[in-house]
Amino acid sequence: MSVIEHTSHDAGHGSGAPPNRRNILMRPGFVRAAWCFALFFLVGLYLVAGIRWLAGWDPVYDWNIIVLVGGLTLAPIGFLLGLGSFDYWLYWISGRPTIPDDHANHGAHTWKDYFKVNTDHKVIGVQYLVTTFIFFTLGGLMAMLFRAELAQPGMQFMDNQTYNGLVSMHAALMIFVFIIPAFAGLANFAVPLMLGAPDMAFPRLNALSFWFLPIAGTMFLCSFLAPGGAFATGWTSYAPLASEQPIGQIFFNMGVQWAGASSILTALNFLVTIITMRAPGMTFWRMPLLVWANFTTSLLVVIATPFIAGSQFFVMFDRIMHTSFFVPADGGYVLGYQHIFWFYSHPAVYIMILPGFGIISEIISVMSRKPIFGYRLMAMSLLGILVLGFSVWAHHMFVAGMADWLRVPMMISTLLIAVPTGVKVFSWLATLWEGRIKLNTPMLFSLGFISMFVIGGLSGIYLASVPITIHASDTYFIVAHIHYVLFGGSVLTVFAGIYYWFPKMTGRMYNERLGKLHFWLTFISFNLTFFPMHWVGLVGMPRRVADYSDRFADLNLFVTISSFALGASVVVFFYNMIVSWARGPIAESNPWRAMTLEWQVSSPPPIFNFDEIPQVVGGPYEYGVPGARHAILTGGGTPAAKEAHA
Amino acid sequence: MSAHAEALHGGDHHGPPPANQSSRIAPTILGMFLFIGTEAMLFGSFFAAYFFVRVVNPDAPSTWPPAPNEFPQFVAGINTAILVTSSFTMHWALQSIKRNNRRGLQAGLLLTILMGTAFLLTQFIEYAHIGFNTSDGAFASVFFGLTGLHGAHVLVGLLLLTFAANRAFRGHYSPEHHHGVELPGIYWHFVDVMWIVVYVTVYLI
Amino acid sequence: MAGIGIVIAILVTLVAVLIPWLPTSASEQMDRIEFVYWFATVICIAVFALVMAVLLYSVMAFRSPPEDESDGPPIHGNTGLEIAWTVVPAILVIAIGVLSAFVLSKNGEAGPNPLNVKVFAQQFAWRFVYPDDGGLKSGELVLPLDRTVKFEMESADVIHSFWIPDMGQKQDLVPGITTSIIVTPTRTGMFSLVCTELCGVGHATMRATVRVLSQDDFAAWVKERKSGGGKPNAGAAIFAGAGCGGCHTFTPAGSNGEIGPGLDDIVSVAQKAGRDPAEFVREAIVEPGKVITPGYQDGVMPPNYGETLSPEEIDALVAYVTGAKK
Repeated sequence: MSVIEHTSHDAGHGSGAPPNRRNILMRPGFVRAAWCFALFFLVGLYLVAGIRWLAGWDPVYDWNIIVLVGGLTLAPIGFLLGLGSFDYWLYWISGRPTIPDDHANHGAHTWKDYFKVNTDHKVIGVQYLVTTFIFFTLGGLMAMLFRAELAQPGMQFMDNQTYNGLVSMHAALMIFVFIIPAFAGLANFAVPLMLGAPDMAFPRLNALSFWFLPIAGTMFLCSFLAPGGAFATGWTSYAPLASEQPIGQIFFNMGVQWAGASSILTALNFLVTIITMRAPGMTFWRMPLLVWANFTTSLLVVIATPFIAGSQFFVMFDRIMHTSFFVPADGGYVLGYQHIFWFYSHPAVYIMILPGFGIISEIISVMSRKPIFGYRLMAMSLLGILVLGFSVWAHHMFVAGMADWLRVPMMISTLLIAVPTGVKVFSWLATLWEGRIKLNTPMLFSLGFISMFVIGGLSGIYLASVPITIHASDTYFIVAHIHYVLFGGSVLTVFAGIYYWFPKMTGRMYNERLGKLHFWLTFISFNLTFFPMHWVGLVGMPRRVADYSDRFADLNLFVTISSFALGASVVVFFYNMIVSWARGPIAESNPWRAMTLEWQVSSPPPIFNFDEIPQVVGGPYEYGVPGARHAILTGGGTPAAKEAHA
Repeated sequence: MSAHAEALHGGDHHGPPPANQSSRIAPTILGMFLFIGTEAMLFGSFFAAYFFVRVVNPDAPSTWPPAPNEFPQFVAGINTAILVTSSFTMHWALQSIKRNNRRGLQAGLLLTILMGTAFLLTQFIEYAHIGFNTSDGAFASVFFGLTGLHGAHVLVGLLLLTFAANRAFRGHYSPEHHHGVELPGIYWHFVDVMWIVVYVTVYLI
Repeated sequence: MAGIGIVIAILVTLVAVLIPWLPTSASEQMDRIEFVYWFATVICIAVFALVMAVLLYSVMAFRSPPEDESDGPPIHGNTGLEIAWTVVPAILVIAIGVLSAFVLSKNGEAGPNPLNVKVFAQQFAWRFVYPDDGGLKSGELVLPLDRTVKFEMESADVIHSFWIPDMGQKQDLVPGITTSIIVTPTRTGMFSLVCTELCGVGHATMRATVRVLSQDDFAAWVKERKSGGGKPNAGAAIFAGAGCGGCHTFTPAGSNGEIGPGLDDIVSVAQKAGRDPAEFVREAIVEPGKVITPGYQDGVMPPNYGETLSPEEIDALVAYVTGAKK
């Protein structure tokens, strides 16, 4: 595997991990994580029971609270402590002299290093991608399960609560622990390299925010084990339904907190890295658009994500502490939940697509061998989406019963968001024009993305119009729209990005024919699955129902069969990735002849990215400009130096 | 906490190249400001809930808090004074280490921690005697929500200050290197400012 | 390229026209929604055809083999074009916005003399009250043709949503506030009302029948229901008014719901279980979770009929369902 390559490149770098003589129970790792997990759970249990006993509350063992405090808050912290996430900080705060950093936790020398707290942004990027694709697979399998139930009207395999649970779980996994963090993974790998930085600004924080993610995803999944089943209120988890559901609901409330904390800390890290660690000469107007996209996304995350944290806190308080945030009889206000929730969750839509825009901009420019058309307007349109993105949340609430006067302004701002988005699409098209188009897998996914995203964007125009939304909201039209945007949009860009950076990440080349096969299977079965949903929705099928009217039976059967094909297409992807990673041909350092910095170092990159920080001298997309250069590299990291060394 | 670049020893052959510092602001300070921004938004979501319950809600109570409940404005006012004073002692601690006055740093941190603890205790006693609890209506929900969220932040601030004080007594920090005091200080000032907003909106208006 | 564009536009137009995308309209409001829908569709077809034409043409015309290492022309941008594709889409979407705002305000007008109907939703049943007709209660929504109806809606527990697909209008019912919506039916017949906001385990089954009658038939229905609410058929009126027929098949009431168990043979079911039929039925109404018929789910039937119906009403209902003469 590539990691062996990696070691040979970097023999002598950071290999001086001291032989660890502490016994296995005490040294950082999964064993220590296991007992710390159990210990912290018990601490939580007795903390709750002790306080309740002292206060004289009955019952002393209130499992709602014990699960929340012990199981979903303290035990994961114990797990992280055991894994070694806090070791350095504990040393620091105890006032001992911190260990001179030997980089023992930096870089991957064997595959085992991917299962540790690792501070190398490239390793963390891969950790993110592998973890998120595990959740993607599980979420996809759940989708196939409930599609099987929907193949016929009436109830076949499961009861309503299970069905609602599967639908909610599918969305929660895909949104919170697949799409958002998958982009964070790609950006983690690429952004510091593109900036000419040796790592992220806070590598230990970066490692910690990655490890929040498996915790969040596992927490969602564990709700299946809770009495009463998994949370079953949809990923929107509207109050007051959410505060009276079985206990599985708090697994969602807390899982969102962990996933949210992960994305806030990552975003903060990106912002600091982008602002303070750019290579000399890398002005804002010379940054690759992927960096711009992640800069904008991170701003959105930092500003908006606390609101979903708040909304989930309120729902939990209503359940656990019997508050009345959303209990109208006691003076609560039900729609408050939706306002607060969508104030995050609409910007979250852009959090889930802007990094994709960045990926597509990179690929389209490189594969068309032309500068990106209208670079500055491309960057400005990202900022335009950022600003407008905060003024449109209530378009999710056109039928919710909110104040009538809010509808028209929200509709206009929603429609206007189509303008910067349209600018991006037209600029990509103009970049293609008269290019030298290389139709390889990343490019196919990019073009597929543009066409699918245009459909998703246009159905978004329908949904921005209040009268049409009044008819179409909460129907399968919404399901179709969201999948055209999030699957046809975001997921295709994730695939494009993975194929594009695969040689850089692993040092090996993927199989081009399998890649193209994957694209065509996905593209066709995706359309067969989701396009008919527009129709069933408009003619009357509501979403989130396990049973439906007989007149939709034929089309639902067709959709179910197509969705199985879509599921099967992912198998091709996994096969290609796993086999190519293990045995693919060795990749060149710059197979796409790209100009951005990550392609100017070896594949995979040296452990500290650059031997010396490069000097940036021009824009990142100067294809076809005679003699143009983006950056000048010196030192041992460059391929040229490597050849000389050999 | 500390930036990578800072923790690494620059000239080492095996280490990474020192990152280019492309902005005048130190990464840790910028990170803390961004973190405070996101914290302010978390408070924002709680204030949003307050706004919905008290203003938007058609059944909003005509008096605040609804009779016969009362918020102890006077005790909370004294508490406000304590917390605001602690911001000054915090500032004094930071200025002291900048002038290489270790005694001043230690005394400033201790005083700040003392006042922060006094604030929390007062708040706790206030909860015990306030005469209503979390299940007594939406006004109580937002009251306990906002003051509780703020109390949690005071607790976190106190922890950070304790870490800083511990290091200060062990001889760390110097006029050149005192981010470990400056960062908890910034956070502490934020907690203070936030309290003034909470006090004014919840207790006074 | 223009050729590709035209072909795509024609293909998409065919898809848009040949497939009946919207249900046949049954209300004035839906007619207006359809108008906005088609207005947006024309614009969207043009945009989609343009994008796809450029994309496909570029791929065909500018494709270059992998071994070709030349670069394209270094075009960095074109201010005129960039302004054009910022301004033109802005104008188009604002046109859609203005039309939508106009239709929205038209669809919210109740007119001078609307029929008022109160809608009550709870997990998982609908109830309707006609305050203009002496507080007539019904579990089925009956509406007169061509008369504007103003619905005032309340929810007892969680958020529900009121939607009659053929009539287009939709509105959530939110606990704690009263929401309203305007519908003017323009077609007689049977329709269905569905809940579109996930409201718990029985969400998929929370439906009600909607009947649109000519104004004369409607008046007759009101008259019949008013007189039918008297002594002889009290049970039948309650059965209809509490919405029982929405879920349960019961031949005397002409209902054919399949969400809950059928009631035609309930007497023999009770006897088979060794129970007194009247007591068995009463328990099933007041405590629906106590005995669950195999094949049906707990938690779907509202558990609070013991509170919403008076003891006399429950007596009458039990008598009606068990077939006892009174």
